[in-house]
Amino acid sequence: MKTINLKGLEMDAYEETLENGLKIYMLPYENKKNYFISFATRFGSDVLEFIDENNEKQVPPLGIAHFLEHKMFEQSSGEDPFTFFSKSGTDSNASTSFDNTQYICYGTKDFATNLRYLLNFVMSPYYTDQNVEKEKGIIAEEIKMYEDMKEFALEMRLRECVYKNHPRRYDIAGTVEEIEKITKEDLYHCYNSFYIPNNMFVLIVGNFKKEEALKIIREELADKKEKTLPTIKSIAEPSKVNEKEAIITSNVEIPKIAYALKFPIKNTSLSGVELDLYLHMLTTIIFGASSLFRERVRQEKLLSSLYTEWESTEEYKVFYLMASTIEPEQLIKEIKKELENIECNEQTMNRIKKVWISSEVRMIDNIDATVNNLYDDIIRYQRIIPNKLELIKNMKLKKLKELIKEIDFKNSSIVKMVKDKD
Amino acid sequence: MKYTKKDLGSYNLHLINTNRLKTITIKVVFHTPIKKEEIMKRIILSDILLQSTKKYNSKRLLTIEAEELYAASIGISSQRMGNYIHTSFILEVLQDKYTEAGNLEKSIEFLKEIIFNPDITEKAFQKDKLDLSKYNSVVAIQSLKEDASNYSAIRLLEAYDKDSPISYRMTGYIEDLEKIDEKNLTETYQKMIENDYVDIYVAGDFEEKEMTALIKQYFKLKKIKKQKENYFLPYRKIRHRKLIAKETIDNSQSKLLIACPYKKLSDYERDYALVLANIIFGGGTDSKLFKNVREKHSLCYSIYSTVHKLDNLMIVAAGIDRNNFRKTVDLITKNLNAMKKGYFTEKDIETAKEFYNSSLLEIDENANRLISEAMAEDILKMDSVEGRMERMNSVKKADIVKVCKKIGIDTVFLLEGVKNEDN
Repeated sequence: MKTINLKGLEMDAYEETLENGLKIYMLPYENKKNYFISFATRFGSDVLEFIDENNEKQVPPLGIAHFLEHKMFEQSSGEDPFTFFSKSGTDSNASTSFDNTQYICYGTKDFATNLRYLLNFVMSPYYTDQNVEKEKGIIAEEIKMYEDMKEFALEMRLRECVYKNHPRRYDIAGTVEEIEKITKEDLYHCYNSFYIPNNMFVLIVGNFKKEEALKIIREELADKKEKTLPTIKSIAEPSKVNEKEAIITSNVEIPKIAYALKFPIKNTSLSGVELDLYLHMLTTIIFGASSLFRERVRQEKLLSSLYTEWESTEEYKVFYLMASTIEPEQLIKEIKKELENIECNEQTMNRIKKVWISSEVRMIDNIDATVNNLYDDIIRYQRIIPNKLELIKNMKLKKLKELIKEIDFKNSSIVKMVKDKD
Repeated sequence: MKYTKKDLGSYNLHLINTNRLKTITIKVVFHTPIKKEEIMKRIILSDILLQSTKKYNSKRLLTIEAEELYAASIGISSQRMGNYIHTSFILEVLQDKYTEAGNLEKSIEFLKEIIFNPDITEKAFQKDKLDLSKYNSVVAIQSLKEDASNYSAIRLLEAYDKDSPISYRMTGYIEDLEKIDEKNLTETYQKMIENDYVDIYVAGDFEEKEMTALIKQYFKLKKIKKQKENYFLPYRKIRHRKLIAKETIDNSQSKLLIACPYKKLSDYERDYALVLANIIFGGGTDSKLFKNVREKHSLCYSIYSTVHKLDNLMIVAAGIDRNNFRKTVDLITKNLNAMKKGYFTEKDIETAKEFYNSSLLEIDENANRLISEAMAEDILKMDSVEGRMERMNSVKKADIVKVCKKIGIDTVFLLEGVKNEDN
């Protein structure tokens, strides 16, 4: 078992790989009553087409990974995993993303039993024509619920503008029409191809004993066979954004805008965590809570709310900005102006570093936040990052300025959401 | 966790000590009986006090100062709690041992600056700042419908009882906004500082004496005030025939909400049996509603019930297709009736108890939870956290059935999604 000292946080994490390729990451706490277990596979909505173990081409309907996640909760015994976990007051849930699906449980009691159960239920698919049909109504309501969220509709349109071919232009849950086509065979093809130990990992954080956890995982999963990973059809995505501008209408009183910047990773020498930190630093300086931009647009009543995020794919980093504003044109002008003339200095950068380091220290207190943080690291960098604090401290203004030169700020898309004309 | 309450004359100091947190959280609560026409002023006040102070005269400078205090977070909110409105100032900051000596005290001073040194000159707030706060409110009010869940909950309560504080919109009202100016907002501020009841909650790892001295040093209030009015809303008579209200919206999904008031309950029934009844009926993914309405009949993705103790009300909420309205209401009614007839098992009760206890075990991990449990003890007169677990364990099935029999279906509201349909 590998020990990973989280420098500056006075904590040790542990990493182990079973012979069948299953990865295990653990962060035990001394002073917590609760624990959190995640069992995950690197399978999400990014997979559109693949060659399975029988050398057959599979093109499942959109939304299959998410549908499969719902159906894992169906067990041949008829027992509902939610009910099982509830018996010890344990919460359970699952979520599907672009590049992963995770099953989680969190509670304060019966750690061993719950860990064993979680591993087992995710390893026991039970799909029937009837239970697949039954799920369609539930997921259709879930899709409709998201469609009605304005920010979500705006983001989906923006994704279509950024990506020409990449699956990130589609909703993770698919569409009502697509999920109607899903059969139990589709689910089994996907399950057998991607729910294999060498494509999965377990992450445990909180109140538990690492030896005990490892023993249980070995007992439950060591006999699962390693398999060849399916070949996923890679989809060529051009460097340029797909569409520069789009307008959509909706029943909003206050218009919204969404801006995206597409940055090919090949354009910079930075990589991994470092690249992400610098990109994040850049947009925090420009659009962060204490930025000059915020102060100006706020005073001019150009901004009601602002949300920013960086997304990673294998080849791209994409920056998303979403805002509500009564003056969409004016705000877009301001954003562009800001990006054409980026001002950054040591003082601002040091203040942001201080904020980030404080947040890391604070976050380790909160098990939920820590789990999310570690999970993201594992998904994105294939490992837990032990020296994030150090990496933040060592960030240099010069490197940031070099990165700015490497970015083509014109490679961007803008979507406006305005009120229906009735 | 150790909770002590100290009466410091002009305010109560609540100290919640735990060694499980790296942060110190301080919540200063100003509270007064709620009046509909005053809500807007309190909302504007919550916004403008966080825009600037005498010392930091812009939001940016205020934010920078918070960042310099090792990312201290500070927030102001105004919320209704039963018959009262709470305007709360919350500071969360790392302990000095993770930052530097004196950072906590500087942060408390910063909180004091925001509460007691507002940007007021010649008895008036700055006009440009007030305009901005008003603008923020206009936007919030105009975009209410965009969040269908929240909007439908408001509309349900307005249909349920439009005159009761239960249906007051906590975004405030446009017609009240126009009446607010730089001068009368100053009066609202002064009135709040001078007349409101004040409670200060501190959660984290600290020395009791030191913390008490610090708070006393920075928070000096003059008047001695004693709380009188009851926090709980009065019980309402349940309608004999349920009221059905509908409104259309250009959305794909419809939101179904049901107001289920209950007849008078004893404190014990409300704090224990009702809590279990709600967990079993619609509390989570193991509830009757989730199992029967979602899993068995595929009628929705989301369905749950919540209890609003101060308002004597349980609310059921589900996202459905409009064509399934009748069917879903019937199923929910059927499930509530089943609860009244005792169609649930001892195992359901055990599970619900586990859920409740497990959630109480975790409160140490979260400062906001610690504070809200202390508030429940102080305001709702609930038992201590330890006492609660013990009493909860002794609740019997008959107690739960008895409570369920007092719950009625009063008002049904449907926010009807009619997108892509011919009318």
